[in-house]
Amino acid sequence: MASQVKPNFETTAWRFMRYSGILLIPLAWFHVYLQDVIVGVHAIDIDYVAVRLADAGWVTYNFLLLLFAFAHGMYGLRQVMFDLVHKPSTRRILSILMLIFWLVVSAIGATALAMGARPELVQ
Amino acid sequence: MLVYLKIYRYNPEAGRNVPSFDTYNIEAEPTDRVLDLLEEIKGHIDGTVSFRRSCAHGVCGSDAMRINGRNMLACKALVKDVGTEITIEPILGLPVLKDMIVDMEPFFNSYKSLMPFLINEDVPADGKERLQSPEQRERFDDTTKCILCAACTTSCPVFWSDDQYVGPATIVNAHRFIFDSRDQAANKRLEILADHGGAFRCRTAFNCTEACPREIHVTQAIAEVKNAITSGGVEH
Repeated sequence: MASQVKPNFETTAWRFMRYSGILLIPLAWFHVYLQDVIVGVHAIDIDYVAVRLADAGWVTYNFLLLLFAFAHGMYGLRQVMFDLVHKPSTRRILSILMLIFWLVVSAIGATALAMGARPELVQ
Repeated sequence: MLVYLKIYRYNPEAGRNVPSFDTYNIEAEPTDRVLDLLEEIKGHIDGTVSFRRSCAHGVCGSDAMRINGRNMLACKALVKDVGTEITIEPILGLPVLKDMIVDMEPFFNSYKSLMPFLINEDVPADGKERLQSPEQRERFDDTTKCILCAACTTSCPVFWSDDQYVGPATIVNAHRFIFDSRDQAANKRLEILADHGGAFRCRTAFNCTEACPREIHVTQAIAEVKNAITSGGVEH
């Protein structure tokens, strides 16, 4: 007998958390390796950032890092919220607020990445 | 050997409204069980000490309690394993009624919500019984061992903080029917467990697996239920 369970929000959110966690491992560690080992923190300045953000590939890489890390963290924060808040209506309101917060901050981050760095404003 | 016992006491009916500890020093053998020590105290030193026990052989699951901070069955915990300084407390996360006796109703209500019984509307092919291969039986063998002692559920940090979480024992008992080839309600059970108080609240702390006196792979069973939900169900 075949059972079909329709995916609900909890299932989708959990699956996204797991997949994003797996993707975060190479994304985050390569980021750390590149910036701290290959380039070195003392070599990173506004010109370096500007060059990187002029490249569509690095913008996409950074955007995925932001998207997955933040979503992964927000999922964990929502679980902590469920530990502390037990009233269903309050849980629902806070979940919606968290979703909005995630979307807004991700949008701001994506915009910043897309705009790139402008060294003339710093120097 | 002399054993020092520190026992949790709470009995609002007798005026002990504030939880406290009583201490007892008694002679014991290394092979004595903690339940033997409790029986000794209740029978010969202080008859007001209250705890549940029935079979006293690790089958009924009624004497689950916290022994030196870990959930165990008092009838399976030996003095030589837990040491000569023993602290005994009720299991966590359920309302304490008296000493080590907790209100198990929330636990059983959660258990019942997942329909822990075989559901099959069809008449068996031979009109008598539903046959199953050894492999099909093996699929859920581990979770048939549950004795509903609540040691797993009350060791779970998510259950301590969120009473809407069904808890490991409920998921284990749902697993027992979800993966039973004779059952036809896996879909319904998985839908309940996909909700916000279900399997996805598990954070894989593994406390449940450590606490289970039947050595059920509880966290693994929960993971299999999660996989069944995310893959859209199970096929028998």
